[in-house]
Parts: sequence; structure tokens; C-alpha cells
Amino acid sequence: MSSTSVYPTPINAFKQSKRSVLSVIVDNEPGILARIVGLFSGRGYNIEALNVTVVDVKKNLSRITIETLGEEKVISQIIAQLEKLVPVHSATNLAYLSESYEAEICLVKIEFENEEQDQKILNFADIYRSRTVQKRQNVVVYEISGTSERINKFLDDLDTIGGIKVELVRSGPIGLGI
Amino acid sequence: MTNENEFTGADILLKALKDQEVDTIFGYPGGAVLPIYDAIFGQNFLKHVLVRQEAGAVHAAEGYARSSGKVGVLLVTSGPGVTNVVTGLTDALMDSIPIVCISGQVPSHLIGTDAFQECDTTGITRPCTKHNYLVKDVSKLSETIHEAFKIASSGRPGPVLIDIPKDVQFAKSKYISKKDISFREHRIKAGSKNVDKIFVEELVNHIKKSERPIFYVGGGCLNSGHQASQELIKLVNKTNIPITTTLHGLGCFPGEDKSSLGMLGMHGNYEANLAMNKCDLMINVGARFDDRVTGRLDAFSPDSIKFHIDIDQSSINKNVKVNFHTNTDITLTLKEINSFIDSNNIDFGDKDYSNWWGQINEWRKKECLHYEQGDEVIKPQHAISRLYELTKQKDTFVTTEVGQHQMWAAQYYKFSKPNRWITSGGLGTMGFGMPAAVGAQMANPDSLVIDIAGEASFLMNIQEIATAVQYKLPIKIFILNNEYMGMVRQWQELLHGSRYSESYVDALPDFKKLAESFNAVGVRAKNVSELDDTINEMISIDRPVIADIWVDKKENCFPMIPSGAAHHEMLLSKYDKENPENQEKGKVLV
Repeated sequence: MSSTSVYPTPINAFKQSKRSVLSVIVDNEPGILARIVGLFSGRGYNIEALNVTVVDVKKNLSRITIETLGEEKVISQIIAQLEKLVPVHSATNLAYLSESYEAEICLVKIEFENEEQDQKILNFADIYRSRTVQKRQNVVVYEISGTSERINKFLDDLDTIGGIKVELVRSGPIGLGI
Repeated sequence: MTNENEFTGADILLKALKDQEVDTIFGYPGGAVLPIYDAIFGQNFLKHVLVRQEAGAVHAAEGYARSSGKVGVLLVTSGPGVTNVVTGLTDALMDSIPIVCISGQVPSHLIGTDAFQECDTTGITRPCTKHNYLVKDVSKLSETIHEAFKIASSGRPGPVLIDIPKDVQFAKSKYISKKDISFREHRIKAGSKNVDKIFVEELVNHIKKSERPIFYVGGGCLNSGHQASQELIKLVNKTNIPITTTLHGLGCFPGEDKSSLGMLGMHGNYEANLAMNKCDLMINVGARFDDRVTGRLDAFSPDSIKFHIDIDQSSINKNVKVNFHTNTDITLTLKEINSFIDSNNIDFGDKDYSNWWGQINEWRKKECLHYEQGDEVIKPQHAISRLYELTKQKDTFVTTEVGQHQMWAAQYYKFSKPNRWITSGGLGTMGFGMPAAVGAQMANPDSLVIDIAGEASFLMNIQEIATAVQYKLPIKIFILNNEYMGMVRQWQELLHGSRYSESYVDALPDFKKLAESFNAVGVRAKNVSELDDTINEMISIDRPVIADIWVDKKENCFPMIPSGAAHHEMLLSKYDKENPENQEKGKVLV
């Protein structure tokens, strides 16, 4: 795994995992997402996370980023199958690039009850350099970016604080090779 | 205001079909395609073949495509019209057959309202086509049709569907001809145009070094065109390497040639499977290591270096890991191999693989296709052998249904040319053969077209006999009638303690009378003394014929690699006992 975070990550466990992040450039046309999702479900592969956005309006291109799990042989087969789809320009395993970066964005809403909890939350938010989106009396919304692992770690740390209520949304990883 | 450069969607479709040199279309009308049928009414370049059920149209288009090398075309209405072709589209996808299916759709403004005969056609057919389209704008129609034909026939061929809402068939636009369309390269997936010289050199070096090489040839060789087969014959003759073919590879190399080991796989020849198991060099030409071919994967050809030529990248390393591969077209690659050998004066003369051939000839002595024909009851193997002997001098195309008769046809009918053998391999679609024969006869009006059938499969698309009668297509339905779903019964005998659950086909029609009721001709052979006369009579009649051949009800198809077993664990006859451990594992496989 050669992907590196755009933000520093407390641990490096991510490098040992069997997850792969695939970056797929497609013609932005009706049904393309269904084709890709159907390929995964029909052939028994998993989608752990998925992100789709138009990236070139003039050329009508979208970039689809898919996080999936599997051994190398399976990932190669997924890529070969993706590249057979007519609207697909290219499918790349970011891990196979000599240099690639990935990031994910997460919005976390935390409801807390007392000063002590607030301090602990502030402390973690500071360590992970989260951006405060909004803060009210007993609720705070943070935005945190980085590798998925970095976000996982942040959420794990929040979990150690008792009595708070967390609600969140994640974009799924996106990545780019250089 | 009318513009004379503008045409309705229906007319644009017809213009595009003409531009694509389509002369035959199989179809069935309905509400959502009436404008297209109206356009068909007013023209004469396109012959429309009215089938009796849409499944017949798609298999006929497959038969047409396989026997002619051209794209097969069909036209069906929305809703049930198109859901009836789903099986055939899947069949064409599995067996890489180029077809284009035009389907009508409810008018654009009704899409999504659960309108009469509406279904989500592109949604339903997405996983069973190579690509599909819903055309919402008539100005995109010409381009879409031309791209569809290009995609269907390029790279690894397959089915493409174009769904056209009724209002788009009426709407007007300019027509853009084929020559004015520039295709976007990434959408066509035509495979590499450049021959991989390193692959070629490595292959020739390995051929020189190897002691026990084998060619393993599949349907990709067929799809690459007749020249691929010519280059293959040259290469085999030059190198004296034995060759085995898959079910779809039959005919790519002459079946009666001394270098041919026949078909391999589950019901393949003993010598072919043993040679695959023991070889030290395997040259895969357009085959996909299908489970029917490989048997148990962990024991598949354990000691060989494997080369794989396949235009489809996803076929490489999917089931079996190979040492060398190329995604360039087979014809180009084989041509390069031949010219590399010639230009470097590589002589294989002293390398005749005599030990290897000696071993293969030992295996051949097992006579794995041997059967005992008595004086009374016709053995199905004998029926096919006689059919072959009595038709081999003719210009013959053979289609099949699916089951025991199909395997016997593959074993006992020998093909010397490609595209003469039309069968449903990957999907195994019962009911394929008769409509496929209709398609093959449309493409080859002066040839003899025979559907080798079982009575159970034949019943699945029996309505198409009316199509054959209407268009005066003298197809021959050669039924090996054993009153059983024979292959189901065989598996029940081998794996389920002879409990023949629901595999007996009770209340069969009288096929002779049935033929007569359709204004076709029925003939029958009840015992071996009537067989040759019946076959000759069938061939001599210039009308559709149903030949009802009564064969041994209990005959099984051997040799056989039981599911879960390896190539060297073949059963040669019912007296061979299967390894009980394999039997238990095999039961859960298909």
C-alpha cells in the first residue's frame, strides 16, 4: 500500500490491511453507477465505500472511487471486469501506483452534558486538527479529514469518553495518484 | 414544417440497419414497436422473420450470427416481449455471440408510471448484455445504433440492446451514416492491435524446449474469424503438437485430423484430458478455463507452463493462473508465431515429440468412445455416428439443444470447418437448437441444417416449427428420444441413488403427428434396422422434418469427469467406480 494521507496519521495500521481503493474514470451517462454496483453484487465482491462525482464537465467525465476488500487476484479480476464496461475509461488500484494520496472527510456531531466531556472532546479535536463547523451550548460539529484510518482512530478516541452522543457522516475515501 | 433531411426514429433505425448491411431480422410485433413495423412494411431490403415467441427470435439471431460470422439482429416489443429474450441475451453473453436486440419501450412521458407493457428494460438486461442503451433523444439514435453494432462485434463479441421509446420512433431528426461516425476508442474495447513480440518469442522458445506440449483451443478462435483457424492448422502441422478443443472450439481444427485429440472436459476424450493433465506446455488459444473443462482446479494440469491468448483481459488469470498471456487478437498472434518460425528458419522436424505421441496413442487405445450397438434398440451414440456418416459429404450445419444428445453430438459428429457447430455452451439453454437452426438456415439457405435434439429440450421452443414452415426453411430436427431428461437422469443415477425425481417426460406428443399438424414432415426410427433409411429420408425431404429416433432409455454419456474430480479421474463407463470422497464433494457442485 503506497497511499499516504494528506494529514499526519497517529498510527500506520492501514498499511497492513487488505483493503484496496480503486479509482475509476467513466463517461457520465445514465446507468453507469448501476453497471458498476451490479458488477460488484453480481460477481460477489464487496463495496466498503463508494464515492461518485463529476470531475470534468466539458468532457463529461466522472470519477468513481471504490473501497473494496480482497486478495490481489480478486482485485485484478475486479479491475479487468471494470475495464470491460463500455463507459469506463480506466480503472486503477491506487496501491499499485508508485505514489498516491488519499483522504476522506467526516462530519461528526457530538452531544455532551458537562464541562469535563467538553474538555476531552476539545483535546481530541485538537490532536486530530479537526475544524469546528458549529458549536452550541451542548453540541459541537467537527469536520475531520485524512485517511480513513485516521478518522477511525479519532472516532475510537471519542468512544473512550463516556456519556456523549455521536452522529456522523463519512464521504468514503477518495484518492489520487501522482 | 417538414424538412426532407429529417426522418422518423423508425426510419432512422431502418436506414442504420441498411447501412450496417443487415438483411435479416427476427422479431415479433407489439404495441411499442408498431412504428418500426410500419417502416418495415414499406421497404424491401430487410427480410423480417416472424417467430412464434421472442425466445425464438433471440436464439435464431444467435444461430444466424454463429453460422454467418455476421451480427444477428432481433426486434421485440416492450414488457413481456423483451423479458422473453433475457435468457437468449444471457446465452449470447456467455458464449460471446454478436447480436443486436432492438426493443420498443412505452412513450418517454409514461416511463416510470407502471404503464401497460412497461418494464425497466435497461435495468433487467444490464447484467446480461455487453452494453445496453435507452435512447431518449431521436438525434442520438443513428450514433447509438452504429456504436451498438461496433460494440457487439468488436473484441470479445456479445449481445447489445437498444431500447427505443415509442415517441422517439415517431420523432424526427437527421440521419448520420456509419461512415460519418467517429467511435470513441475507450468504448469499443477492441483489444490490442499490436502483436506482443515477446510473448511470441517466449512461446516459440518454450515449444522448442518442451517435451509434452498441447494446444487447448476454444471459441475465441472461432470469433477471431476463419483465418485464425487457417493459421492454427498451419502452426499445428509445422510443430506436430497435439490439439484439443473445447465444446465451442469444435471445427476450428479438423476433427478427423491425426493431431486432433477431440474435445476435452467433463465429457471430453480420455486422451485429451490425460494429455492436459500430463502436459508440460499448454497453449491456450481463446479458451477460458471453464469449470466444465478444468475439472477440480487444484489438480488441473499441475506441471505445465501455461500460455494464454485471449482478447478479453478478464479471462486471464480468472480461474487458472497462467505464466504468459497476450490480449491481442488470435489471428494476428498466430500469424506472427507462424512468420516468426518461418523467418527464423526454426525447424521442428527433429522434434517430433515421439515419446509424447507414444503416450497419447497408449491412452487412445482405451477407445473411450467405444459403445456396443446391438441388433434392436438404437444406441444414441450410433444414431449420431450414422447421421455423421450419411451427412458428412454435404454442406452441413449442426445445432443442438442441451443435454446428453448435445454431448454425444460433440463426441461423435466431426467438424472440419469453423462455424458449422452451433450450440449453447456457457448457459446451457434447453430450447436453443431449433430456433438456432431457423437462424442458421436463413443465413445459409442452400445448406443442410440439422438440430440434434432431445425430446425434452425440443418441447421448450416447439412453436418455432411454425416459423420454419412459414418461411419454407427445410431444417431437420433429429430427436434422440429416450423419454427422459437424460442428463438429469444420469446425474440422479450417479449422485442421487437412482432416484429419478421428475426427470421422466410423461405424456409426450406423437412427434410424427405433431410434425404433420404443423404442415412439416414426421419420420421415425424405432430400431436399428430403420435408422439409415430414416436418416436418408429425412435428408431427402426439402421441407422441415422432425425425425423421432427412439434410442436406449438408460444409456449414459461417457467418458465423464464427475463434478469435483480431476482430469485423470475420468469414468470411462458405468462399470468405473467413482472415488466416494469426490462424489460427496461433487454433489454440491453443478
